[in-house]
Amino acid sequence: MAEYKGMNIFVAPNDHEHLGLFKAARQHKLVVQKCADCGRLRGHPGRACPFCTSLNWDWQEVSGKGTIYSYEIVTQATRPAFRDWVPYPVVLVELDEQRQVPWQGGLEGHTVSLRMAGNLVKADNPLEREDEERVAIGQRVKVVFVDLDDELGLVQWALSGEPPEHTPWRAPV
Amino acid sequence: MGNLRDKYCIVGVGETEYSRNSGRTQRALGVEALRAAMGDAGLGPQDVNGMLSYHSNDSVPSPVLAHDLGLRLDFYMDCSGGGSSIEALIGIAMGVIEAGMCHTVAIYRAMNGYTFARIGGTPTAGGRAPVTDVSGPALESVSYGLTSAAQSFHFSFTRHMYEYGTTNEQLAQVKVVHSRHASNNPKALYKQRVTVADVLNSRWIVKPGCHLLDCCVETDNATCIIVTTAERARHLRKRPIYIMSVAGRVSNPFTSHHYQMDPITRHAGYYASRILWRNAGVEPEDIQLTGAYDAFTFTPILMLEGFGFCQPGEGGAYVSSGIIELGGKRPNNTSGGQLCEGYTHGMNLVIENVRQLRHQADDSCPNWEKGEHTYDYSEGGCRQVKDVELAANLGWAMPATTSALVLRR
Repeated sequence: MAEYKGMNIFVAPNDHEHLGLFKAARQHKLVVQKCADCGRLRGHPGRACPFCTSLNWDWQEVSGKGTIYSYEIVTQATRPAFRDWVPYPVVLVELDEQRQVPWQGGLEGHTVSLRMAGNLVKADNPLEREDEERVAIGQRVKVVFVDLDDELGLVQWALSGEPPEHTPWRAPV
Repeated sequence: MGNLRDKYCIVGVGETEYSRNSGRTQRALGVEALRAAMGDAGLGPQDVNGMLSYHSNDSVPSPVLAHDLGLRLDFYMDCSGGGSSIEALIGIAMGVIEAGMCHTVAIYRAMNGYTFARIGGTPTAGGRAPVTDVSGPALESVSYGLTSAAQSFHFSFTRHMYEYGTTNEQLAQVKVVHSRHASNNPKALYKQRVTVADVLNSRWIVKPGCHLLDCCVETDNATCIIVTTAERARHLRKRPIYIMSVAGRVSNPFTSHHYQMDPITRHAGYYASRILWRNAGVEPEDIQLTGAYDAFTFTPILMLEGFGFCQPGEGGAYVSSGIIELGGKRPNNTSGGQLCEGYTHGMNLVIENVRQLRHQADDSCPNWEKGEHTYDYSEGGCRQVKDVELAANLGWAMPATTSALVLRR
């Protein structure tokens, strides 16, 4: 159990999927599950492969480079832990490794990408939130890590300084 | 499978007042709502032998209410769930009766949604203890301050604004219209009419889609709906309202991992609409009144698109066109909805449509109980939709999960 922003981050010993992610983050590595049968990557830790139902998977280290696909700026925290952090950005990052894969052969026009949510923080200090004016769809980001304790780390995101993937867009508010 | 169109009816509806200080237990609220719905239908304790409820560990179990009002049950089930539960539970009630397990089912939701358990987890004085432990799937959201509904849904909202140019002024229109409706609803919590400027000038909750007035109002209340067969319904106190079709809960493919899958602006109504309209035998164009779940001003926009009332991306224009206002082509949430009347995880939106289809909207017209209305929708006046015959309820749990219901007079 690690304390972070007033919360008890508890990764259960039998929660192998989350444990792998959080332990790798403490080693400053970003890993995702890769299906051992179909080879697809998963953005959320899970027990089976939503592409082929396989129960077999391995951890795959990824570059941690991606693009902001969507975002929000929370100005009213519901948890006391976050009240001194508003306005804080939460971003949906689309990783470079797997983008727009047709779902079940293109069924209903769906595609699946490798996406992770996190806060946009300062590259040189992952405990400090990024300024809301710098958050935009299309901006390039890189993974950064918060050390929670000796065993667990938390994945976060920071602007990478690369040119944006397309003209950045943020709502005019 | 068999189509049960018009074989089941809603025969009774009831609720407590909508408040932010009920001063009593969920049990007390639940008893009051159940008793009101039984009275509305003209049913005694011996006439109701099934119960269903939904809760988020914040309610009172069916057997407690059954005891308090002297009901002996042949069936009950208390289900976990919030928004979009009610439409699906109405379908479950029909199935249970069809299976011969009981004949009349009361469905309720009892919650002190402001003073005991607030949806987003905001601690309350004297309410449920705040949760500080984070584990399991919450590790991927709560750790980042992604907890409340406004926060959880927002990636879809922002993306909709980016892809389609949906504006805050369009969102504000939903609140403006619902507030006009609420001004003609004596039991609404917020009866004051607001302007677009009022919404845009209210403080931010989550940018860019939710000012304070874009959010529904956390409420203490209980609500109840009673379902029975069309045969039994014909002998009860009020005009039966026929259930034409139910869908729910219907999900997009990745459900809780919805944001992995494009388009993330596609609401599950995209899938539910196929079941809903096929079984009802009607089309969106036939519907005269909608009850699209307004947890936020954005949620009706995504659902009206998903269920085919307009094309993807056109929801902002649809809600700004006058269509959804009383006197318009297809009013939405004539009670003021959850943005204004009160938040009950969707049940009040179904109750309103039942009263509308009876032509007995409880507005400020002196003889509304006799179905006599002025159809003057100015402030403090009428809110009955003239000659309404067909209504749809569109329920929201999250962008990827929905339920829906078509009712007729």
